[in-house]
Amino acid sequence: MASVVELKNVSKMIKGRKIIDSLSFNVEEGEVFGFLGPNGAGKTTTIRMIVGLINMSDGDIYICGSSIKKEFEKAVQHVGAIVENPEMYKFLSGYDNLVHYARMTKGVSKAKIKEVVELVGLTDRIQDKVKTYSLGMRQRLGLAQCLLHDPKVLILDEPTNGLDPAGIREIRDHLRMLARDRGMAVIVSSHLLSEMEMMCDRIGIIQQGKLVDVQLVKDFVSNTEKLYEVELDRIDEALSAVSEYMPGLKVSKSATGLEIPVKKEQIPELVKLLVSKEFSIYGIREVSKTLEDRFLEVTNEKGES
Amino acid sequence: MLQLLQNEWMKTWKRTATHIMVVLLLLSVIAIAAITKYQENGLSVPDNENWRQGLEMENKDFQKQLDEGTVSPDSIEYMRTQIAINEYRLEHDISTNVDYSAWDFVSDSSELISFAGLFTIIIAAGIVANEFTWGTVKLLLIRPIGRAKILLSKYISVLLFGVFLILILFGFALLLGAILFGFPDSSNPYLNYHDGTVTEQSMLIHLLITYGLNSINLLMITTMAFMISSVFRNSSLAVGISIFLMFMGGSVTYMLSTKFEWAKYILFANTDLTQYLDGAPLMKGMTLTFSIVMLCVYFIIFHLLAFFVFKKRDVAA
Repeated sequence: MASVVELKNVSKMIKGRKIIDSLSFNVEEGEVFGFLGPNGAGKTTTIRMIVGLINMSDGDIYICGSSIKKEFEKAVQHVGAIVENPEMYKFLSGYDNLVHYARMTKGVSKAKIKEVVELVGLTDRIQDKVKTYSLGMRQRLGLAQCLLHDPKVLILDEPTNGLDPAGIREIRDHLRMLARDRGMAVIVSSHLLSEMEMMCDRIGIIQQGKLVDVQLVKDFVSNTEKLYEVELDRIDEALSAVSEYMPGLKVSKSATGLEIPVKKEQIPELVKLLVSKEFSIYGIREVSKTLEDRFLEVTNEKGES
Repeated sequence: MLQLLQNEWMKTWKRTATHIMVVLLLLSVIAIAAITKYQENGLSVPDNENWRQGLEMENKDFQKQLDEGTVSPDSIEYMRTQIAINEYRLEHDISTNVDYSAWDFVSDSSELISFAGLFTIIIAAGIVANEFTWGTVKLLLIRPIGRAKILLSKYISVLLFGVFLILILFGFALLLGAILFGFPDSSNPYLNYHDGTVTEQSMLIHLLITYGLNSINLLMITTMAFMISSVFRNSSLAVGISIFLMFMGGSVTYMLSTKFEWAKYILFANTDLTQYLDGAPLMKGMTLTFSIVMLCVYFIIFHLLAFFVFKKRDVAA
């Protein structure tokens, strides 16, 4: 797989303060890369540097091998982006907006506009003025605008901000499809972790302008040991029984039972033990660690060290 | 480039505000026409057989005042001009008995150029700043087109808009004038006095020159508004400053020019090039070349500022 976007030691100073501190990462063809961080960590600044809206103080960014600093026009022609909200000309129709952007890139035909409009499902409303659109429709128009010139990289800053669940799902499906079927590299930024978990292949965590961690979502979320919640009665007694039988385990109490980190093979053993001590078991279920837990873990670890 | 201009043109004309501007401009021409038509009796010259004697009397009167040496320097120039023109009329038998015609109306309507200028300033002030206010600048600047080119296309489309308004003004005034007042039977030339000699000029050319020279003021202020718009990203500020200077700049400069030598370097001392065509310049020592050089200097400074800031700007908001 080829790297489509490469960041090399990118830094940004604003008034003597380092907003972004030597950031480096690559994004590959056909992958959805999540850019995760709390508010004010520098996500938007980084994205603006990738598309050349903000100059970087140090380092360089390459898109398909062209430097955004030195060969802006060549580099940026591979990029389609929505930076923050998809702001369009409200007094123009959706179609005129697309024509406007189509004129700014070479070789976008009328047929292409039509195709993109169909793809995002705006065919019925495309001749209406944008001021009559809902936020979801504007978001879709924004997506259409990015796709006009068949970019190799799609960059979306907080694409699901302010959308309802249906809209979020729609955007997610679109992105997945674009990455899978067209081999686009997609960069998404968000502070909504659950979102990222469903959308991305890989995520980079940024905190205070530094890249803290880059991991595959799969690895990031799943650990070899899983956490199981066992719902039972006489919780305190059960806690001491389990701790006695399986020393070294970090057993903890939850509202309705115990949370026990064990491997799958150990579960029958655990159940036998509990049954033999005549605890009533109402249920056992896996508590998968969410990205959120991991995110907090990672950011806390790095923050402390 | 052409496509960028097309874009700007579309963005300008798909807004209701722009249509209102054109309508207002046309309405104001109609208003002037209506008032003029209403007062036409007062304006039309009675068929005076004795126009020659009238002019001779006027000249004698002026000459007497000049000889007495009691008149102010401004009036001296005016009287000299009048005498020369009157003599020319007598010599070439050009009667003063001319009815108010379409040409006069077009000439009167040239006052409305500042009105058209006002609208052009509003457009110039908004064309960059609005992109920032709307947030659309983010999508505009991530196209494979350099920032300088985008800014240039915006500036050119402002100029086109200004030219378009003035053409509308000129054309509509001519049309309305032709309908209401008609053209004179014999084409009456405009008499131009320059350096002691009087020359004849076709009325149409004279009017085109008047409109053209008046537009220079407009061009400079529009450029300034465009610069402010691009540097401060604030259209109200650009409109405010430009319109203030457009109406006050001239008089403030005039006041300064009576006291300070350096006033001649102020932009507004140089924008009115008609001062060299007939009449005296604002201050001694100012020449047409001087003014043109000054205008160019200001023009270049405005553009350097606008382009430099626009190119370097971090689009953060």
